[in-house]
Amino acid sequence: MLSVQRLVRLMLVSLVLAGCAVRPPAEEPAEPMTASQELAGSPALSLLGRAEAARQQGQPAAAERYLERALNIAPDSSWLYKELADLRLTEGDPRGAEGFALKALRLAPDHDDYRAGLWELVATARDRQGDSEGAGQARDKAAELRSPRAKPV
Amino acid sequence: MAKKTKKSPTRSRGQSNRKKKKPANKRRWFSWSLIGKLALVCLVLGAAGLAWLDALVRERFDSHVWQLPARVYARPVELYEGRVLSREDMLKLLELMRYRQDARASTPGSYAVQGNSLLVHTRGFSDSDGGEKPERIRLTLSGGQIRSLNGDDLARLEPLQIGSIHPQHAEDRVLVPLEKVPPLLVEMLIATEDQGFYDHYGISLRGLARAMLANIKAGGLVQGGSTLTQQLVKNFWLTSERTLSRKLMEMPMAILLELHYSKEEILEAYLNEVYLGQDGARAIHGMGLGAQFLFGRPLEELEPHQLATLVALLKGPSWYDPRKHPERSLERRNTVLKVALDEGALSKADYDKYSSRPLEVVPRGASALYAFPAFIDLVRRQLARDYPPEVLSDEGLHIHSTLDVLAQLAAEGALRDHLNRRDPDDSKKLNGAVVVVAPAQGDVLALVSNRDSREAGFNRALDAQRPIGSLVKPAVVLSAVSQPKQWSLATQVEDGPIQVKLPNGDVWAPQNFDKQSRGAMPMVDVLAQSRNQATARLGLDVGLKQVAGTLKTLGVQRNIPLYPSILLGSLELTPFEVAMLYQPLSTGGFSTRLRSITDVLDKAGQPLARYPVSTDEVVDAGPAFLTQWAMQQVVEEGTARAARRHLPADLKVAGKTGTSDDFRDAWFAGFSANHLAVVWVGRDDNRNAGITGSSGALPVWAQLMGKLPQRSLSQTPPAGVEWVWMHPDGRRVSAEGCGEARRYPMLEASIPEDSDGCGAVKKTGKGIKGWFKGLFD
Repeated sequence: MLSVQRLVRLMLVSLVLAGCAVRPPAEEPAEPMTASQELAGSPALSLLGRAEAARQQGQPAAAERYLERALNIAPDSSWLYKELADLRLTEGDPRGAEGFALKALRLAPDHDDYRAGLWELVATARDRQGDSEGAGQARDKAAELRSPRAKPV
Repeated sequence: MAKKTKKSPTRSRGQSNRKKKKPANKRRWFSWSLIGKLALVCLVLGAAGLAWLDALVRERFDSHVWQLPARVYARPVELYEGRVLSREDMLKLLELMRYRQDARASTPGSYAVQGNSLLVHTRGFSDSDGGEKPERIRLTLSGGQIRSLNGDDLARLEPLQIGSIHPQHAEDRVLVPLEKVPPLLVEMLIATEDQGFYDHYGISLRGLARAMLANIKAGGLVQGGSTLTQQLVKNFWLTSERTLSRKLMEMPMAILLELHYSKEEILEAYLNEVYLGQDGARAIHGMGLGAQFLFGRPLEELEPHQLATLVALLKGPSWYDPRKHPERSLERRNTVLKVALDEGALSKADYDKYSSRPLEVVPRGASALYAFPAFIDLVRRQLARDYPPEVLSDEGLHIHSTLDVLAQLAAEGALRDHLNRRDPDDSKKLNGAVVVVAPAQGDVLALVSNRDSREAGFNRALDAQRPIGSLVKPAVVLSAVSQPKQWSLATQVEDGPIQVKLPNGDVWAPQNFDKQSRGAMPMVDVLAQSRNQATARLGLDVGLKQVAGTLKTLGVQRNIPLYPSILLGSLELTPFEVAMLYQPLSTGGFSTRLRSITDVLDKAGQPLARYPVSTDEVVDAGPAFLTQWAMQQVVEEGTARAARRHLPADLKVAGKTGTSDDFRDAWFAGFSANHLAVVWVGRDDNRNAGITGSSGALPVWAQLMGKLPQRSLSQTPPAGVEWVWMHPDGRRVSAEGCGEARRYPMLEASIPEDSDGCGAVKKTGKGIKGWFKGLFD
């Protein structure tokens, strides 16, 4: 009996180890970062949908209100801050856009392409505020994330 | 008496003199040509007067019919599956919003309890995202959460009206268009006040005669002869003085009104204009506001006996005031119901049913309107920056505010309970203020400025400027850890006597609260134990300029004098300013302007302006995380650990106690991920209040935070910060289980190369490299 238990334990341990050996922690998820993935199951997702529709209908104020409501429900959503940043940029408020994009970066998962996109948004926003040096730095960060060589091995 | 007897002969002499002269004048007065001329003048004057009256009538009626003060609403309650909301709180909300119980929830503003679930018929509202239509929703509440919501994944209750913005002696009104006025109200109104309304031209001789007859019969004044149109003229254009000139103007104006406008327009104006009473300085005009004022509900939702009470008021708003004179009011109400029965507006069955109902007037002051004066004051100040006073008092704006009714009630309750415990006698010397903010969006959720929260007056939350004491210390820590090559939270700081010679020759020698010095200790303990001498030493090493700069960065707008005493909180701020100062600390370095308003809509519900969220990164992620973690230790093991009793064991919160000299001010400012609350307790006369941050303010904060749904502060360090076991000397890394080694979040630049040689020393590497390294180590 004892040896069987030991055998089972050993098997379990080796299984776990095998699992560890073949699957090192991923640097980034295989799927691209999407809102439906980040906000899965949250009513914030439907508010995001309404915000997008309002934007398409030329109602930026309504879109903003939807996004603010969504943030009350899902306050740690990077995607919602990214949407707000986008909205501010198109509405001619680059300073607001920069703030939201930086907040989105702070909350962003380790997803290089997504983060690169946010740094590019920061760069554009800084350009429009006349901060070309800051824009350059943001662009460098984006490029670093986009370049496969730069990723840690 | 003596004067009188002396004077009278003189007067009679004068009179007799005049009498003598009169006959001579009399002859000339009766000259026919003069009469002709006078008649002409009168005719011209009369025509001019009529034209003037006509212009007056049309101008006021057309252009600016009603003064509509801006109305302020709380944030609409968002309902969705998984939202933390207890059944008790939901019912409290429905009660505040005057929902009535109705087995089928058949009309807006009603609800039914059905076992575990609630059927709620919402009222609908306008918002800049389009708002909501009235709808029936079924929600199941259990375990303090919404378990299910029928159909949609989201619903909103209409926002509770919490006040209106009007000048001190202005009119207040809730405009109700005629099509929304219950027809029964119109029928009762016409039956009791002006039966010939649809037939006359503004004045009614028949009505006058009938009134006179009725009055003679009754032996007193039971009916007035004025038509509704005349009453409107009185309400609309004329003062309430009973002068002859007023009477003379009333009739032609009534006729002119009828000439220009339809009966419907006149009726609508009457219903919205009529004066119904007084609420302090606020005049209650119109049936819409009357319904709110007496019954706490929209006019559309009133039942027949309540409508009759409103009509009963017309005969004398103060004489028939149902709160002051309930018996008189009830009698008059039943007369109105009887007239409605006689005129066929009400069935016999309904008459019997409703005339036996009590008045059902809500107690004065029970309404949510004017219940939150401190918050409304904040809204008013923020609006005043953008809108001139006449726009706010006249144009009927809808102001959507950030007030969270449940947070507000929790804050009021916490302050009241604590002060009643500490300061129970009638003298009530202690008072306080509470500010609650949702830090990420900067929304002010609650504002309390008085232990008697309904009392307006001195707004302590906004205007009580007091020394912040140890609340300043996190800024000293932040300034230090922002220079990671020199300082980390593990750095040893000497808690010992310190003396600084000031430019004026004085010597500044701060003492610790316990009058003792504890020697060297890690920086995190300096904060957690709120050591004054160690903080002073650290602050002087970091530099007064740096600390002042940090305070400015965090949001202090006042001038900060560069005295050493600022390191221990000689800086004076209001509770609201403290909330501004702590807001970036609570969000990991993102500064967000505090707002009390989200949207402004016009009177038709069309969006006019938004007050959007905006945020700036003012502190880098790393130092912000370290400071926040150090502030968590204040609650975990420091001066605020008593708060833990009120909070869930696994909830991570942070904060700081503050006490000013001579125990005048007690402060606590602290936060979870979703609520930042600042509490101040002290005396208005600024005397020794015998309280500390821990004893005077922390209990309020803990009770309040314990009542609200909370989320923990993130324990995941940002890029560039690692968890490191440090040797107690703060200069060498160590390992878990090694003597007195402690684990700290460390900025990479401050992790020492040296190790104390104990255990398997390893920096926690990130990513694949670290993982492989870990595998082989």
